[in-house]
Amino acid sequence: MANTYDLIIIGGGPAGLSAAIYGGRAKLKTLVINKGTIGGLVDTTREIVNYPGYKNTSGPELMKDFHEHALSFGVEFQKGQVVSVDFSQEEKVVKTKKGKEYSAKAVIIACGSQPRLLNIPGEKRLRGDGVAYCATCDAEFFEGEDVVVVGSGDQAIEEGIFITKFARKVTVIVLHDEGILDCNKVSAERAFNNEKIEFVWNSTVEEVLGEENVEGVKIKNLKTGTSSELACQGVFFFVGMVPATGYLRDSGIEMDKRGYIPVNGQMETNLEGVYAVGDNRVKYLRQVVSAAGDGATAAVAAERYIEEVNSFTANVLQSDKKVLLLFFNALVNESIEFSTLLEELNSEIGNQYKIVKVDLATKKNLAEKYGVKRAPAVVVLNHGKEIKRLECTLDKETLKAQIL
Amino acid sequence: MSLQQLKPNSFEEIIYDNCEPCLVIFTRKDCHVCKEVVPMLEELQPEYEGKFGFYYVDVEEDKNIYQRFSLKGVPQIVFFNDGEYKGKLAGEVEDEEVEEKIAEVLGA
Repeated sequence: MANTYDLIIIGGGPAGLSAAIYGGRAKLKTLVINKGTIGGLVDTTREIVNYPGYKNTSGPELMKDFHEHALSFGVEFQKGQVVSVDFSQEEKVVKTKKGKEYSAKAVIIACGSQPRLLNIPGEKRLRGDGVAYCATCDAEFFEGEDVVVVGSGDQAIEEGIFITKFARKVTVIVLHDEGILDCNKVSAERAFNNEKIEFVWNSTVEEVLGEENVEGVKIKNLKTGTSSELACQGVFFFVGMVPATGYLRDSGIEMDKRGYIPVNGQMETNLEGVYAVGDNRVKYLRQVVSAAGDGATAAVAAERYIEEVNSFTANVLQSDKKVLLLFFNALVNESIEFSTLLEELNSEIGNQYKIVKVDLATKKNLAEKYGVKRAPAVVVLNHGKEIKRLECTLDKETLKAQIL
Repeated sequence: MSLQQLKPNSFEEIIYDNCEPCLVIFTRKDCHVCKEVVPMLEELQPEYEGKFGFYYVDVEEDKNIYQRFSLKGVPQIVFFNDGEYKGKLAGEVEDEEVEEKIAEVLGA
């Protein structure tokens, strides 16, 4: 099938592109499915000064380098929006809005996040008529006007400073007490020193006012509970991001309340062969450098998983001989003794069986597949089908009787 | 197929002289949402060949065109028919919304 891959990466931001570079280099047939522009959220970042090796670059520049790097390793790119997935089989299926279907042994979820909406009256209705989410795109339309910025994180404050290049005045609505901003110190200082920026503390916006265009906002003071109106021509919302993982809702993948996916150190989700990276996973630091690290980790974990699946298929499922699938624990003496005994018996009966050893500590996926909880355990397979299980005893005769 | 760019002269000619039923997307080069919406329009365009025009205006190059429509951001898709303004769609819109709007403009 033309649409079959080793590895599919959903999302082309720094995490997805890094995974693609590692996947491509490991000679995995790798596909990146990307909804919008390559680079994801980073593509909207004007200035990046903390990505190692780049003292000062822009988001689009840096992502162009990532993209070209991935292309140089033969990674394929498809534009499309993933709308549903089926992760229930070993061959995982991903469907796009245009009805295209792709499948792969492993999938890395790297589709990032989207701006959070406050869902207050007027916000949706006046979008594009004064309500905005992107300063680079829209600041210029507010030349000489009064603008409100909602939020106090890095994005809110940095975009707010950018808007002052055009607007007459920028009023920042902040949830916290006077003087407290969520953004980095350098930006906070710049904002405090900017004559065009004013702050309204302990407050939130509860409504965007206006008929055809934004005419003002209704501000609620959280300390006093009182509301007031502030006239303005524009409102920029920077109230954080939410993971864009709605299409995973029925996939069986575990997510927390906010839509983030918990993973282990290998970026493994609760589903075998499915990984989550960057802004899609539960994590401490959300930066380009940590997203790239996630992508690399997930791609290497996926590569090992795929290799495991392939070798299992070749050695066990397609074996002509019957297979004794031996789950053992290298740290337990009895487990090793049992393994030696089994080998000995097999050679006594003329190697009728092929013995495939599985370390319970590292091959958790296989253990789960066969419902094995403790070692030693032996599953007898014939052409990939389970025909029985052995009672694991160190008594030679009892054991021999079971395999004759 | 990429969209045809309108400059002040061609804008006048197509919208007001020829009264062509069409849409015009107002974009700028560094707007990431535009980069999602424009390809979607490019894909729709062939279905409407000869029935409905698809154009774009670069707001950085031609400020005076967008100022006439009191636009407050990009991307904005503005619809025209018979030389009249027929409404607009703002921000990240889906292809279904555009198709519905075109049907509405053509049906009216």
